Amino acid sequence: MAVKLFASIMIGSSETEMKIYEVSPKKGFHMIDCMTRRIDLGLDAYERGSISPQKLDRLVETLNEFGEIMQGLRVDSYRMVGTSALREIKTGLVTHDIIERRTGLKLLILSNTEQRFLDYKAIASQTESFEQVIKKGTAIVDIGGSSLQISVFDKDKLITTQNVRIGKIATRSRFYPLAKNNEHFEKILAELLDHELYGFEKLYQKDRRINTLIATNKELQTLFSTLYPNRPVLTVTREEFDSAYNSIVYMNAEEITERYSIPFDLAQALVPSAIICKGLLDMFESDGVWLPDVSIGDGLAYDYAVANKAVSSAHSFDEDILAASRSIAKRYKSHQPHIRNVEENSLAIFDKMKKIHNLGKRERLLLQISAILHNCGKYISLTDVADCAYNILLVTEIIGLSQSEQRIVANIIRFNTLDFPYYEELSQTTNVSREEYIVIAKLTAILKAANALDRSHHQRVTDIRVSVKGDEVILGVLSDKDLTLERGTLEEKDSLFEEVYNLKPVLHQTSTARK
Amino acid sequence: MAKNTSDKSSEVKTGTSKSSASKSSASKSSASKSSASKSSASKSSASKSSTSKSSTAGSSASRGGAAVSAAVPSSQGKDASAKLREEVRKVIREANESTVQAKGIDFTDPAYYTNRELSWLDFNYRILNEARDKSNPLFERLNFLAITSSNLDEFFMVRVASLKDMVHAGYTKPDLAGLSAEKQLELVEKKCHELIEKQYSTWNRSLLPAMQAEKMNLVTNLEDLSPKQKKYLDQYFMEKVYPVLTPTAFDASRPFPLVRNKSLNIGALISVRETDSEKDSARATFAMNLKKNGEKFLDQGAKGKSLKKGLMFATVQVPGVLPRAIQVPSEEEGSMCAVLLEDAIVANMDKLFAGYDVVCAHPYRITRNADLTIDEDDTDDLLEEIQEKIKRRQWGEVIRFEYEDSMDPKLLKLLRRELDVRDEELYPIQGPLDLTFLFKVYRMSGFDHLRAKPYTPQNVPDLMHMKEDEDLFSMIRKKDIFLSHPYQTFDPVVRLISDAAEDPDTLAIKMTLYRVSGHSPIVAALARAAENGKQVTVLVELKARFDEENNIQWAEMLEKAGCHVIYGLVGLKTHSKIALVVRREEDGIRRYVHLGTGNYNDSTAKLYTDCGLMTCRDAYGEDATAVFNMLSGYSEPKHWNRLHLAPIWLRDSFYSLIDREIRHAKANEPAHIIAKMNSLCDRDIIAKLYEASSAGVKIDLIIRGICCLKTGIPGVSENITVRSIVGTFLEHARIFSFANGGNEEVYMGSADWMPRNLDRRVEILFPLEDRECAAKARHILDVQLADTLKAHELKSSNQYEKIDKRGKALIGAQATLMREAVEAAKNPDNPKQTRTFTPAEKKTKTENLS
Repeated sequence: MAVKLFASIMIGSSETEMKIYEVSPKKGFHMIDCMTRRIDLGLDAYERGSISPQKLDRLVETLNEFGEIMQGLRVDSYRMVGTSALREIKTGLVTHDIIERRTGLKLLILSNTEQRFLDYKAIASQTESFEQVIKKGTAIVDIGGSSLQISVFDKDKLITTQNVRIGKIATRSRFYPLAKNNEHFEKILAELLDHELYGFEKLYQKDRRINTLIATNKELQTLFSTLYPNRPVLTVTREEFDSAYNSIVYMNAEEITERYSIPFDLAQALVPSAIICKGLLDMFESDGVWLPDVSIGDGLAYDYAVANKAVSSAHSFDEDILAASRSIAKRYKSHQPHIRNVEENSLAIFDKMKKIHNLGKRERLLLQISAILHNCGKYISLTDVADCAYNILLVTEIIGLSQSEQRIVANIIRFNTLDFPYYEELSQTTNVSREEYIVIAKLTAILKAANALDRSHHQRVTDIRVSVKGDEVILGVLSDKDLTLERGTLEEKDSLFEEVYNLKPVLHQTSTARK
Repeated sequence: MAKNTSDKSSEVKTGTSKSSASKSSASKSSASKSSASKSSASKSSASKSSTSKSSTAGSSASRGGAAVSAAVPSSQGKDASAKLREEVRKVIREANESTVQAKGIDFTDPAYYTNRELSWLDFNYRILNEARDKSNPLFERLNFLAITSSNLDEFFMVRVASLKDMVHAGYTKPDLAGLSAEKQLELVEKKCHELIEKQYSTWNRSLLPAMQAEKMNLVTNLEDLSPKQKKYLDQYFMEKVYPVLTPTAFDASRPFPLVRNKSLNIGALISVRETDSEKDSARATFAMNLKKNGEKFLDQGAKGKSLKKGLMFATVQVPGVLPRAIQVPSEEEGSMCAVLLEDAIVANMDKLFAGYDVVCAHPYRITRNADLTIDEDDTDDLLEEIQEKIKRRQWGEVIRFEYEDSMDPKLLKLLRRELDVRDEELYPIQGPLDLTFLFKVYRMSGFDHLRAKPYTPQNVPDLMHMKEDEDLFSMIRKKDIFLSHPYQTFDPVVRLISDAAEDPDTLAIKMTLYRVSGHSPIVAALARAAENGKQVTVLVELKARFDEENNIQWAEMLEKAGCHVIYGLVGLKTHSKIALVVRREEDGIRRYVHLGTGNYNDSTAKLYTDCGLMTCRDAYGEDATAVFNMLSGYSEPKHWNRLHLAPIWLRDSFYSLIDREIRHAKANEPAHIIAKMNSLCDRDIIAKLYEASSAGVKIDLIIRGICCLKTGIPGVSENITVRSIVGTFLEHARIFSFANGGNEEVYMGSADWMPRNLDRRVEILFPLEDRECAAKARHILDVQLADTLKAHELKSSNQYEKIDKRGKALIGAQATLMREAVEAAKNPDNPKQTRTFTPAEKKTKTENLS
């Protein structure tokens, strides 16, 4: 692969940014240009639920400039994403259409989890010692416009990632006008934060020690890089943080701009960002905070570089998604040996049928997540497992999954136990697209088969060998155990499999003695 | 040529004194931003303000701490930027006060400073000295005299005008030297009168006789012409001059005519001659009306006392389209005889006013307030606003009235009254008005023996090894290229843009244009590049004083060609000289950057001494990209790799660099600053230099023009030397060397140490990382410091004096650099960087240009 140019465009709550990267196997990926224009869509989005025509014009103008620059530089590929501001407006579809129509650029509105996952990827890909850091308790917090995402790592695994509805811009626009003065604002916000974080602390942090707090927040990054300009990696001790905090917390935005020469738009969101960060430092009792200079664009570039084999990551982000899924499964008391067995068997079937289903790595991951989470509905109801699981999945954010992917997983799990509907039927009650439907069907068929193989929940079918012969998919298993239940269930549930693949799944048992 | 017209970046065409004075007085401070106060401030959590101040003013070259986007053209951003500057000044003031208390010296004491306008006049005196210097060839002397005249025009139009504005506005705050605007104006006008007197004494007593000695006669009394010459002149007048003249009479029915700024005019008093011929009845009627109205005017305007009844005023503009000096046939072989155009018109005034008696006729000239102040906040279209303001320049207040000293008192009185001229603004001239016509005399063909031998800019040795299969880009990839103009040709800069325009691998070209030449090959290349599908972004500074019209034309032309044109930034002038070529090469994107100290002007590059750097180092490329992003309205980058930008970071960078020298001096390590620039008038920087000097830092300043710093003040500036070089070329490069404890760092840039450069302009300072390039720049400084021929030294008496040559080798810096460039071009394989200087031959005692 020659050197390629990739552009990431991020339409954020307070600024719109384009970064251009050079991507090559030789050099990996590195940014060569970055253009940022302050357009505070967030204020409009959170206060009015729509973007004002003036700001939309300015956004379109900026994006057109970006388009011209990309064209001029002969950029090979680009990805333009919108984050919370565009996600949360009521006029989302119309605005989406206007942007695409007037710029000719394809826009993808990120789900909250996708957005946070990209942030997280950006941090991981830009921080050399990331693997070392997350071996000990680490929290990555993204203090966004409308919410706060907290991801906790321990022993290099993602323990949990939770979204807390308290953000720097939304809180300011909502509570600042209510507060009697700046001191009162701090008090209101601190109380609110305390309340919001209480649940997180009890449910997820528990007694876990968080040594390192990594925060992605442009306002704090700007403030502290101004105060400590010569630090290549911007780490701030608790003492330094508190000192700066005490200096700014009662200032208004104008004062901050004057004193610290921080652009006014950033200054407006600085105090709420600092209050939120302080609350997190207090909760985690961390010694300080890292403020990496990264953005979603770096995460997008990373994805592009991985897809183009320009970099291979030392860290497996898919593992993080799986770890988060396992954490959810655990929370809903899923039967761990069973889900492990279903996971293994479904992946074995998937892998051997590659040429038949034509699905890729990402769908494999969705199948794996579905297998891990397929049983969580039982936590709510033993009789209405399918719908309970489906509903849990729809409201539980799984980091790294897009809304579409989350919908796919939820439906796979739902129809794992229910009869699979025809598209026309399904589309009446959900907003599943045709493309999604096909993926759901293919993966549900596999999951149903794999689930059938552990109907007894005793993991009698392990280490299956899958082969396709004629119109059958042979699921070979070396076992002397009684597999009547599994065989019977598989036969019961093979209709979808046959319908989707035109193949019949057959359990072929070989005695260990014969072997 | 020390002409100041196109170095409009410097002293003559500076920003309004009003704002500068306001800022200066608001910040009664020195530059001291002591590291002690910085660290204590940053550590202090209790003191919110001190923490923030530390961050604002205290951060160093890497970021500077300021983040208000200069490029964001919002009023909010602008306000914040203004507030930021004020904040910086407050911090400096406070920090300085603590330093002052600690040392017991107030480096901001007005007694330690020279008024900038008076210092500028000193500069013009130094140019005048060159006109008086008999060791210079005659035409060079004429040229220097013309420069003083042209410089003065600009000085009046901008600086004196600005002082007058301040006086009118009742502005009382003193300047850095403690002078009120009124006092400054008084001193400036006094010094101007003296200077002009000296100009004309030079002309009359020295240059005219010298011209005569060379058989060049300028005939001022036309009675001295022979009949043959008279006939020739009459014919010339009727054929060439008369058709383009537009005489205007002034009466009560017509307003006083618009007398254009800087135009040369003939004022006359005329009276109606009685007509007795019927065939002249129409003329008679007109004349009667004129007489009637004229009398009415005299009655109304002058209350019948100014002029005798029957006298009328008439004026005619001396046409600028015709040569000022009319060559008439010479009576003597080998000699030249000329008559000034205005004299020819005066002699033929009766032909313009047939039917009238011309009572008297005399040349006069006015200079108007031409300072262009634009309220950018209330301007929707900067382009249109500037076009409008340019037109209005012609109506500015009269601030100087020059007239032939023998002018009829009645005529003078009328003109004074109508043009509203004060006593101090009257400049009686004993000779031809507006000596800039001597520029044309200088350019007359022939007379080569009366000029310095012309110099051809030499090839750049580093680029002379270019093989057939190589291009400029490949040469830059090999090593950084240092350019020294006009000793070396400007062609590589033109070629960089020109090659990029045709180069299939070039994706984008970005450039700032401040002043460009008439038929700029660079502008043509940019247009071509856009037509070839390259992404071309050009910032054309519309506010480049006196080049506004020119730049508007370029901007419109470039836009038509498809370039993305940025018409400058709100509230800031973009004075930086930077060009960026982005190429897609085999191993990825590579950025080629040219950074310079002078404009992208191939014409002035032959006359101005400037330096440039071509590099493709990533750090410079990234910064250059960020510069253009900022100029395009995007946010500033998180940090700068190498470049230091005004108005946000540059001032702090200079403080940091000077502070570092202070620390080295205190640690008994090598501490030496050599700075070459056009002007030094920033109080805070000067105070910082005083602080450095008192700490033991050796400081050598090479400042062509304004210098508000004083040397030799005990305990304050004993370690500072100041010299000024006025030579064939206009010294224009800005080079800064910091000894840095033995690890010398050399920088170049577009900024002088003036408030406007540091606070109100986009300027770039860049380091020379390549040792060879740094050595070349340093060599220029060394040569200039060794100059004994053209350098003036600022003495502790605050007077500039030529170097005492006794016992010293006679060295002309410009001549040395020319000679070295010629030698280097002859022998590019062995570009010896000499640090020894070849003395000029004693017999000539002149700067040997050959």
